[in-house]
Amino acid sequence: MIERWALVSGLKGDLDTYELIQKDLKKTPGNITLFVLGDMIGPEKNCNRLLHRLINPKSNDLQPWCIYGWWEEQILLESGYRGDQRAEALRINKGEEVVKSLTNAVDKSFLDWIAALQFGFVELDCGLIHGSSKDVGENLTLDTPPLTLLDRLTRLQVNRLFTARSKQQFHLELTEGIVNSEVEDLNGNRKKEQKVPQKAVIGIGAGKNYTLYDVGTDNTQFVQAGYKTEKRIKGFGRLSF
Amino acid sequence: MNQAVISCLHANLPAVEAVLKDIELQGITNITCLGDLVGYGPQPNEVIELIRDKEIPTCQGCWDEDVVDGLDACDCSYPSQLAEKRGHFAHQWTTDKLTTENKDYLANLPYSIRKDKCLFVHGSPNSQHEYLLPDMDAFAALERVENARAEILFCGHTHQPYIRELADGSIAVKIKNAVPKDTQEKEIQLPMRRIVNAGSVGEPRHGGTKATYVVYNDVTNEVKIREVEYDIELTCKAIIDAGLPPIFAWRLKNGFEFAEQAEDASHVCER
Repeated sequence: MIERWALVSGLKGDLDTYELIQKDLKKTPGNITLFVLGDMIGPEKNCNRLLHRLINPKSNDLQPWCIYGWWEEQILLESGYRGDQRAEALRINKGEEVVKSLTNAVDKSFLDWIAALQFGFVELDCGLIHGSSKDVGENLTLDTPPLTLLDRLTRLQVNRLFTARSKQQFHLELTEGIVNSEVEDLNGNRKKEQKVPQKAVIGIGAGKNYTLYDVGTDNTQFVQAGYKTEKRIKGFGRLSF
Repeated sequence: MNQAVISCLHANLPAVEAVLKDIELQGITNITCLGDLVGYGPQPNEVIELIRDKEIPTCQGCWDEDVVDGLDACDCSYPSQLAEKRGHFAHQWTTDKLTTENKDYLANLPYSIRKDKCLFVHGSPNSQHEYLLPDMDAFAALERVENARAEILFCGHTHQPYIRELADGSIAVKIKNAVPKDTQEKEIQLPMRRIVNAGSVGEPRHGGTKATYVVYNDVTNEVKIREVEYDIELTCKAIIDAGLPPIFAWRLKNGFEFAEQAEDASHVCER
């Protein structure tokens, strides 16, 4: 049986979208594992029903495997789960009202569950995270310098990195890399040519836009919940090299 | 013009004096210090005051930060619990000895100093605790320099001096399911960059006992590693007299290469 991963993020309390995705996945062939890469919560709507459903799946639901995202980090900061720090970046950028909306959107009884979520998963040779291996808030996109992408892959020692923070859907392969290193120290000189094997960074989308990943063939399919239409990336777009 | 870069003085006054003398004898007046003025050694106030008197621009090292802000490095920075215990003892001893004025000086040191194409940091541009080892992943090393918008990155922290040149690099990328096909592949040329580690004045870990630092010529781009002898016995006696762990003196005298270095030295403390 084909093994597929469904990679979802940015639900931000939207139970209807989550139910739509669950419905899609029931019709999708293969053995599917559902990963929710953070931002289950947000300030726009009450998140309690979605959180309850994630923690207590219905009998015919696919079991969701969740990690925390940027919005979860903000509520944990604001609620004192990160020591003396508070959600100051959110407060400065979005204002006090958004901080209040966020804390009002999530019942305190869910905070321990959120606090117990992991930063990411490593499955096979793949890293599944919200932002990057450097920071939960880091956006990785098609515009991110390849050297930075390679570094974020190297930090997790994985060959594929699935990321959600940018909300974009893309599958960027680093097909080849080479650099010559020469070190001089008190023992003399040594030269080394370093190459990198093929690696990839995959943006999984957010909300209704999610990604199906075929573990056996390394193929991605970008899907919109309810439509199940493959969405293709249009070249490099704004990329400038 | 030649400039000297020194790092990791670690309260070892005889070593600092010997290195400053060596720099003076070469007629070099432009000196940059990469931090860790204190820690392990017996004369933290004297070393800070010497650097302050000479108005040497200095970055804040991990020890300088920890003494001011409380312990930041967790046990991941140490090879054993015993080493961690000794490190914590030295931290407390140093905190007790430092004058308020010198603590304020350490607290106000910058994380980095930029001079044209050169960036000076203690550990890495990411963290005062990150070790940029000479043989670390070449792409990761290049990323540290490039993302810091520097051409030459001067660092310390490892206590091992080296000069690393990263050149002739490229990365080929492809959007796997892109349309149209003619825009889906690119090859990016990577710039040539250098990392220069200044080693350690006060606690060498390069396998020998001499203090090390580097001299950089900003016209020719040439970098030389300098080794300087100093009165090790004097420092060792001061360590013992101060009541610091005798192993601190023993490893200075024997040039113990791997002292207090974590098994995974590339690990960044997240605390």
